[in-house]
Amino acid sequence: MSAILWFCGVATAVAAPTADGTLMIGKPSEPDTLDPHVAQSNNSLTITCKTYETLVKFAVVNGHATADVVPGLAQSWAVDPSGEVWDFTLAPGHRFSDGRPVDAAAVKFSFDRLMRIAKGPNEDFPAIGAVEALDQRTVRFRLTYPFAPFLQSLANCGGDVVDPAVMAFAVNDDFAQGYLATHSLGSGPYQIVHVEKGAEIVLEPNPYFPGPPPRIRRVVIKIIAEASVRRLELEKGDLDLIEEVSPDQIDVLRKKPDIVVIDEPCFREDLLFINSQRPPFDNVLVRQALSFAIDYQGIVDFVLLGKAKQMRGFIPEGFAGYDEAAPQFHYDPKKAQALLAQAGLRHLTIGFLYAKADPTWQTVGLIVQQNLADIGVKLELHEYSYTTMRDMIDRGDFDIAIGNYAPDFNDPSQYLNYWVDSRLFGLAGNRAFYKNPEVDAMIRRALSEKDPAARQTLYQRAQRIAVEAAPYILLSQKHYEAAMRSNVHGFVFNPLLLQVFNFEDMWKSPSPN
Amino acid sequence: MSLLQILCRRLLLAIMVVFGVVVVTFIVSHLIPGDPARLMAGEHASAQTVQHMQHVLGLDRPLPEQFAIYVGRLVRGDLGLSIRTQRPVSEDIRHFFPATIELSLAALLFALAFGLFLGVVAAVYKDTWIDQLARVISIVGISMPAFWLGLLLLELFYNWLGLLPGTGRLQEGLAAPPAVTGMFTVDALLAGEWGTLRSALEHLALPTFTLGFVILGIIMRQIRSAMIEVLQEDYIRTARAGGLSPTRIILGHALRNALIPSVTMLGLTFGDLLYGAVLTETIFAWPGMGNYVVESISSLDFPSIMGFAVVASLAYVLINLAVDLSYLVLDPQIREIG
Repeated sequence: MSAILWFCGVATAVAAPTADGTLMIGKPSEPDTLDPHVAQSNNSLTITCKTYETLVKFAVVNGHATADVVPGLAQSWAVDPSGEVWDFTLAPGHRFSDGRPVDAAAVKFSFDRLMRIAKGPNEDFPAIGAVEALDQRTVRFRLTYPFAPFLQSLANCGGDVVDPAVMAFAVNDDFAQGYLATHSLGSGPYQIVHVEKGAEIVLEPNPYFPGPPPRIRRVVIKIIAEASVRRLELEKGDLDLIEEVSPDQIDVLRKKPDIVVIDEPCFREDLLFINSQRPPFDNVLVRQALSFAIDYQGIVDFVLLGKAKQMRGFIPEGFAGYDEAAPQFHYDPKKAQALLAQAGLRHLTIGFLYAKADPTWQTVGLIVQQNLADIGVKLELHEYSYTTMRDMIDRGDFDIAIGNYAPDFNDPSQYLNYWVDSRLFGLAGNRAFYKNPEVDAMIRRALSEKDPAARQTLYQRAQRIAVEAAPYILLSQKHYEAAMRSNVHGFVFNPLLLQVFNFEDMWKSPSPN
Repeated sequence: MSLLQILCRRLLLAIMVVFGVVVVTFIVSHLIPGDPARLMAGEHASAQTVQHMQHVLGLDRPLPEQFAIYVGRLVRGDLGLSIRTQRPVSEDIRHFFPATIELSLAALLFALAFGLFLGVVAAVYKDTWIDQLARVISIVGISMPAFWLGLLLLELFYNWLGLLPGTGRLQEGLAAPPAVTGMFTVDALLAGEWGTLRSALEHLALPTFTLGFVILGIIMRQIRSAMIEVLQEDYIRTARAGGLSPTRIILGHALRNALIPSVTMLGLTFGDLLYGAVLTETIFAWPGMGNYVVESISSLDFPSIMGFAVVASLAYVLINLAVDLSYLVLDPQIREIG
């Protein structure tokens, strides 16, 4: 009898830490690559943000992540008066998962690699001219112009530092892209230990990461495409945390005692692009009429089930440069009709370009169709595959198209310098093909303006002009939604890092079941 | 015509079919508006970045040149590098295909066993309640979408009864058996890892049932109608009059003849099976070709799409070749006529 008890005791003692130290995550799709210098989507960030580190990182204040930056791999930095030379001093003690120290040469190697590969994440660093390792712990960035948001941009995951030793795995000048697609060699708190393609990715702590070892000893990210199955496994306790929970499921899960939902306002926005170069949309009155015709609150209430709010200006609330006095269009069909009459237009028929990439886009299209019918405009819904839709937007082959947007780092340039710069027509940023030389001049000057107040004024003025001109119909600032078991603790939401979880600070208490 | 000649002719035809698929898939996938380089370069990519990526991916060359390069590599067995995953397509396919084959074979075996049994029983007991029941099962199988059936089964056996696991191929923490075929059940059996075999079988059960149920309906219907026809033939009456046991008549004489049209169906069903596998894999998070292909298509990953088309058409052609060859065994007349 005592032997059995002893055995049970041992079994429990051995089993408990394993069970509580493993975090099971359900992800809807497999990240294309886990190479931080290639990966584009937040889906990859779940892994790369935990396996690599950046020179600076987003601050967490009172359990809430903010968009301000604090030291990361760099303990301090200095910029010369021209704003073009930045010196960073690296903090001691950071080591890659192979034990090698993170030094200035590694930082130089990483940025050189990012620029040489040039597959997208490099776009957030348009001004980097050269990177030099001055000594083992000092690295210098020479910019081609005083790019004001430089420091902010370094917190973005494209600035991840990779161990130069990875070049041992390079094949045919690929800078080890093939290897890093499924492996990691960074200094973050975790490292990839196993990738089962199409099925799961397993992380375990980087033994050389400074500080106390994380309590989550193993993170298993399972790829489960079907939303209802993810939910089933969460409710059953086989998963601890699931991503991409639809607004209707969030409300059901919220009522379950052993589930906690994450339902936070974030910077992701839904908007419509009006092709401002194509008649009759080159007439500002027509664009404004369309903007007054939309039932914004109806879309928020019926499509997003209240988990969003109407945008005010391009820049979302809580983001650097948000302007609470920015102009905002409201639902006013009469005014819309009057504006159309003023523009001399009758019996207008326009196309609405969308794809099934976002399940809500079609419903939004139907509401917009009804709204426009009320002012005598016929809207035809044109559904294409997402790739075709993107191509059509890039070529300006549409009347109105729907899309969404999320920024990479906390700076107004992430909105203004993309959305309204006439040099970036198409997918590159200005999807409404809006052109105003005055606005162009202001936003370009703001990009290298060193005085924060002057910079803010420039952006504010540019934004007000552009919003009034209505090249975009600004629908809603959305929520980020996920759900986890109630015995998972310590998660800190960061609106800039969607789909990123701070595994290193999280822990699990014994399951209530 | 000798067996060897038939085989050679069919193989030659098979190569032509696969080449045709390569040409059509290449043209269609490149005609779809959309630029994978643009897609890969992400949200903010500038024109320079997109151009750079087009160059790296070889998409800036004329289409005929791209096709010639592709075919040149294909002949050497090189399927190219996936645009999306940066990995060799052949490696991806080698990884994902066995899981799909394992699921499809299991579903086919399941459907064959039950479809044959139900079809024969329904024909023998035509118009009785047994026949009605079998026909209801068949109709439900054919008309119920795999998607819906999968979710129902998960709700019942995983959530409610807790008898079977939900998703994946093996229990969490269990290592895959040493790879021989890539099919976990077979590999576990070969390695004598009984715990792994059990877990693999448990995980295979619900997806097999989901995928097999559709085919089961088709097979059952086919066998039933063929059997009813055959059972009315003169030679069956003669056999009965001759005093042969009913079991011997049904299995030895009737079924063998009823099988010939069914075997043709089986070859054609393989296409349904692959299609059904995509849906089934999505529900059960079964890491097979299904999700891989869907993701490849949505990101216009040409090399992956082409790779899948080549492998799938090859499998389709080979299976139908096997079906044709099986006639030779089932029906000596065909052998003589060639």
